[in-house]
Amino acid sequence: MKRDKKKTAVLTPLVKRHALAYLLGLVTLFVVDYVNLFVPQFMGEVTDGLEAHALDAAGVLAICTKIVLCGVVVFVGRYFWRYFIFGSARKIERELRDTLFAKLETLPQRYYHEHKTGDLMSYFTNDLEAVRQAIGPAVVTCFDSSVLTVLVLYRMMTNVSVKLTLYTLIPMAVLAVFGYFFGEAIERRYAKMQKAFAELSDYVQESVSGERVVKAFVQEEKQSEAFRAVNENKRRATLNVVRLDAAFGPILHFLVGLTYVVAIVAGGYYTMLGDMTLGDFVAFNMYIGSLVWPMLALGDSITMISQGVAGLGRLHEVMDEQSEIVDDPEPDEVGSLTGQISVKNMSFAYQKDLPDALHDVNVEIVPGETLAVMGRTGAGKTTLVNLLCRVYDVTEGGISFDGHDIRKIPLHVLHENIAYVPQDNFLFSATLANNISFGKLDATREEIERAARDADIHDNIVDFPEGYDTMVGERGVTLSGGQKQRSSIARALLKDSPILILDDALSAVDTDTEETILENLKRVRQGKTTIIIAHRVSTVQNADHVLVLDEGRVVEYGEHDALLRKENGVFATMWKKQQLERQLLMED
Amino acid sequence: MAQMNEELLETKYDGNVFGRLFAYVKPHAATIALCLVLVLVVTALNLYRPILIGDAIDNYIEAPAGSVPEGLSREELAELRADDYAGIRHTAVVYTVVLLVTLVCHLAEVWLLQKTGQTIIYTIRQEVFEHVHTLPLRFFDTNPVGRIVTRVTNDVESLNQMYTQVLVRLFSNTVLIIGYAAVMLRINRDLALLCFAFLPVIFVITLIFRTLVRRTYRIVRTKISSLNTFLSENISGMKLIQIFAREKEKSEEFAGRTKDLYHAQMKEMLTFAVFRPGISFIANFALALILYRSGVSVLTGAVTLGTMYIFTNYIRSFFEPIQELAEQFSTLQNALASAEKIFTILDEKNTILEPEQPAEVDEIKGKIEFRNVWFAYENEDYVLRDVSFTIEPGEKVAFVGATGAGKSSILNLIGRYYDIQKGQILIDGVDIHDLPTEKLRRAIGQVQQDVFVFTGDVKSNIRLLDDTITDAAIEKAAVAVNADHFIAHLPDGYDEPVTERGATLSAGQRQLLSFARTLAYDPRILVMDEATANIDTETEQLIQEALETLMRGRTTIMVAHRLSTIQHADCIYVMHKGRIRERGTHQELLAQDGIYKKLYELQQ
Repeated sequence: MKRDKKKTAVLTPLVKRHALAYLLGLVTLFVVDYVNLFVPQFMGEVTDGLEAHALDAAGVLAICTKIVLCGVVVFVGRYFWRYFIFGSARKIERELRDTLFAKLETLPQRYYHEHKTGDLMSYFTNDLEAVRQAIGPAVVTCFDSSVLTVLVLYRMMTNVSVKLTLYTLIPMAVLAVFGYFFGEAIERRYAKMQKAFAELSDYVQESVSGERVVKAFVQEEKQSEAFRAVNENKRRATLNVVRLDAAFGPILHFLVGLTYVVAIVAGGYYTMLGDMTLGDFVAFNMYIGSLVWPMLALGDSITMISQGVAGLGRLHEVMDEQSEIVDDPEPDEVGSLTGQISVKNMSFAYQKDLPDALHDVNVEIVPGETLAVMGRTGAGKTTLVNLLCRVYDVTEGGISFDGHDIRKIPLHVLHENIAYVPQDNFLFSATLANNISFGKLDATREEIERAARDADIHDNIVDFPEGYDTMVGERGVTLSGGQKQRSSIARALLKDSPILILDDALSAVDTDTEETILENLKRVRQGKTTIIIAHRVSTVQNADHVLVLDEGRVVEYGEHDALLRKENGVFATMWKKQQLERQLLMED
Repeated sequence: MAQMNEELLETKYDGNVFGRLFAYVKPHAATIALCLVLVLVVTALNLYRPILIGDAIDNYIEAPAGSVPEGLSREELAELRADDYAGIRHTAVVYTVVLLVTLVCHLAEVWLLQKTGQTIIYTIRQEVFEHVHTLPLRFFDTNPVGRIVTRVTNDVESLNQMYTQVLVRLFSNTVLIIGYAAVMLRINRDLALLCFAFLPVIFVITLIFRTLVRRTYRIVRTKISSLNTFLSENISGMKLIQIFAREKEKSEEFAGRTKDLYHAQMKEMLTFAVFRPGISFIANFALALILYRSGVSVLTGAVTLGTMYIFTNYIRSFFEPIQELAEQFSTLQNALASAEKIFTILDEKNTILEPEQPAEVDEIKGKIEFRNVWFAYENEDYVLRDVSFTIEPGEKVAFVGATGAGKSSILNLIGRYYDIQKGQILIDGVDIHDLPTEKLRRAIGQVQQDVFVFTGDVKSNIRLLDDTITDAAIEKAAVAVNADHFIAHLPDGYDEPVTERGATLSAGQRQLLSFARTLAYDPRILVMDEATANIDTETEQLIQEALETLMRGRTTIMVAHRLSTIQHADCIYVMHKGRIRERGTHQELLAQDGIYKKLYELQQ
């Protein structure tokens, strides 16, 4: 197997940390193997002693007692090597899991757009498990089988016959070559099988998520047909692996059996001629028996190690991922932000070959100001928010807070000073109180309730059986879109940051609730910067400035009232249109 | 992802799990029978091999006392015992033949078995998948996607080991044990009985081990589930974690869970660490005992050295199948737990039954009639109460009302996604219970608020899986609903790849895409749920135009929040607390000075 040094970089320090435990484990394992080998020798002694009539019942008993003593040592040893090696492997697995999660936390949103949740999950389940198998069971079987093989062969040579041992080495050599190619082939096919399984999972996930569409367009049969292909692909890929895998045992047994043939012919001949005793012959056969397990285990460990290497390679895809959103090596000394934001000649494209999602944007926000961002879907409003939160880095130009370039501000400072209400109203499976205090973990119940009142969700919450301690999500209550939206507004309000960003956060609430929340916002955001993204003109009535975006460009930017008065202005037209609609209704 | 309360579900299924699992084997009965025969052959041959050597020792290798004079040279010995040597060579040839036959049979057995196993897995998986899609929406309301996916993927997968390993191994190990027992009894009854004395010991220890493992295994499973739930949720919410700068806290929370899991797994591992070496120790003890007993018998001449060889050889192999059975126990346990979950899903009934004698309808024209319809999602909690209305083909009607007034439920009922408790729903005068669901749903175009985008490209999202819709038809539909503008802006146009979460498309674009999808299927009835919410005024213009196209010549039912979007409807129904309270055109309703008027004033 090719060994790529880089591929093991995550694992090496962890294994090193547990080197002592591994060492102890391997020593115990060695002792177990060594002691175990006395058993055939003792059996040979009994056979010889009986044949030569040199043993009486007491003599036989003495030897048998020795066998039992060996058993005791082996029993204790086997418990401890498991404790040392399997235990370390579990520890390393746990450390790897924690490292991996911490790594994921550093990765930018770009990464999450490119990778499905299911794929990321499989790093934690399948790949980690494969790695654990390789550093636990595989280490044991690999070491154990090698040591046993060497020990057994050594004993065969010294205790029985060098010549006979050499003969038996011939089938063993065939075995080694066979094992090597087997491992290579298995690794290749296994990767394909994993891929087929992942595809199958994705397909089912999507098909079930889209159940409504499937039913509405009567696609059930078509789905089944399409799934048949995915399913068959998985079956074939699996068969490819298991066919090879299943053949290993029988072939191995055959090869080991051939050693017995050598033992019968050559061993029998030498015994007949008196070159070796019958006891030697029996012991020799027992030794061959002891070789079966190491040979089988060798195959297992080859498979496990190759799967572990493949798993580790995939883990490295994550670990080697570099976030481009990182703290500047020499950050400015910024403790808190005032809410002054300036965006200068800023352009941004999601990818190099894509057109700019935002182009040459200029905005000045003074502390305490409320800025409304309006525009059609896809105009770049959310992109602007993402850039302000440094979810992405700008391509050209710059964003600065209080005169500090956004990239010079430590990320945690930036994020601590911004409260944000996302478009998708994501809530965690925790209590409502925990969800709301997400931005301020030490918040008191009074503070939480105040934020909930300001977001007009308090009344809904106290209506739940367990009030603020009601669990959200699959294990608790299901909230409506509007309730989720208001909960996440409460979460942002409680954080009480110098900057608050609401990304289309009032879309699912009705007009009078909107009115209430806007009133509260006006009160609690006094003197603090607020950025509101909205579709409805009514949502932005309290804004000081309005920024209208279209296809990534600023089409209008100015004071709210000035824009309203601007003849044929985009914002004014939007406002007029919505007014007109109302008037039309009024006239009837 | 897997649920915390998954464990509760396990006990839900109380049918005959084994019987049903075996039912899948039935079509492969001949193959399995052949496999079992092959297992028998392999087992018999494996038993025969030590006998061959034992006999060789007694008959050829060991010289009968006094038959060989002392002090002969090697050459003289070789000549004297030429016949014995021929016997040994003969044994070797027989042994090789036995090996070859074993190899062939063994290979044939495992290959056939794996193929059968994979085919069964394929069948079950297909069945579960197809069954899930026949289930009513009610099922999906209560079962999270992750759980369903786990059933089709991992749970089915864990059955595989049961079919390919446990079942046949169960057979072969039983055969082996019986085989060993029979041969041992035939050779020497006393020694055989001594060997058997160990069986109850092994059995009891295995039983204790079972209980312990089951307990630890359950704890481990629960911890894994909770960890996975945590993971999938936090990966989805990563943006929020990062913007709220909660990486450290979440890491600590995660570490707490991994620690719990670690301790549970260590406990499980240590249970195995006592059991496995324990069994080996007993085997070792048995070996010593047999050696002693047979050794003493050799001294008295009751037993030959060859018999001693066979017994000491057998006693090691005798425990292997028992041990293997114990080890495969956890595999079987997993498989059974999975099987229970799978069967629970397979036993879910489709409550939306197809008509036994479907009404003969050529083409649905689009007349919709509700007659005193009562409907509740659960029990007596009615969301629709005595609702009656008639919509003529080509009419456009709108339903308005506060949230929870029952508007959306009406849309769900027309496509028969749920069955009503009382009353009748008729399409073109035919009760929808008498219409084949497929025909009914094909006639209805659904435009949903959340547009689901399948992994694929723009084209495949309009066509879905219907290959009869040509590229030209797709483009025509896209042009008609104003979707071609944004599609043309995508780097690959109609071939632009889009994904599940649809990050490349905005909400408005997805809406337009779904219009194109609906138009491509050319339904007679159009059903829209808040289709125009969540979209800015400008895009709404595009959408309004598209809707005009879409609605032309189709019966249309829409539900909208904003009254401005529905003022041209032929009839507006005002729902309140599950009942239709007002009906009429926009002007008529305003004149009524009722709920509609109030709703309308609220929007000022």
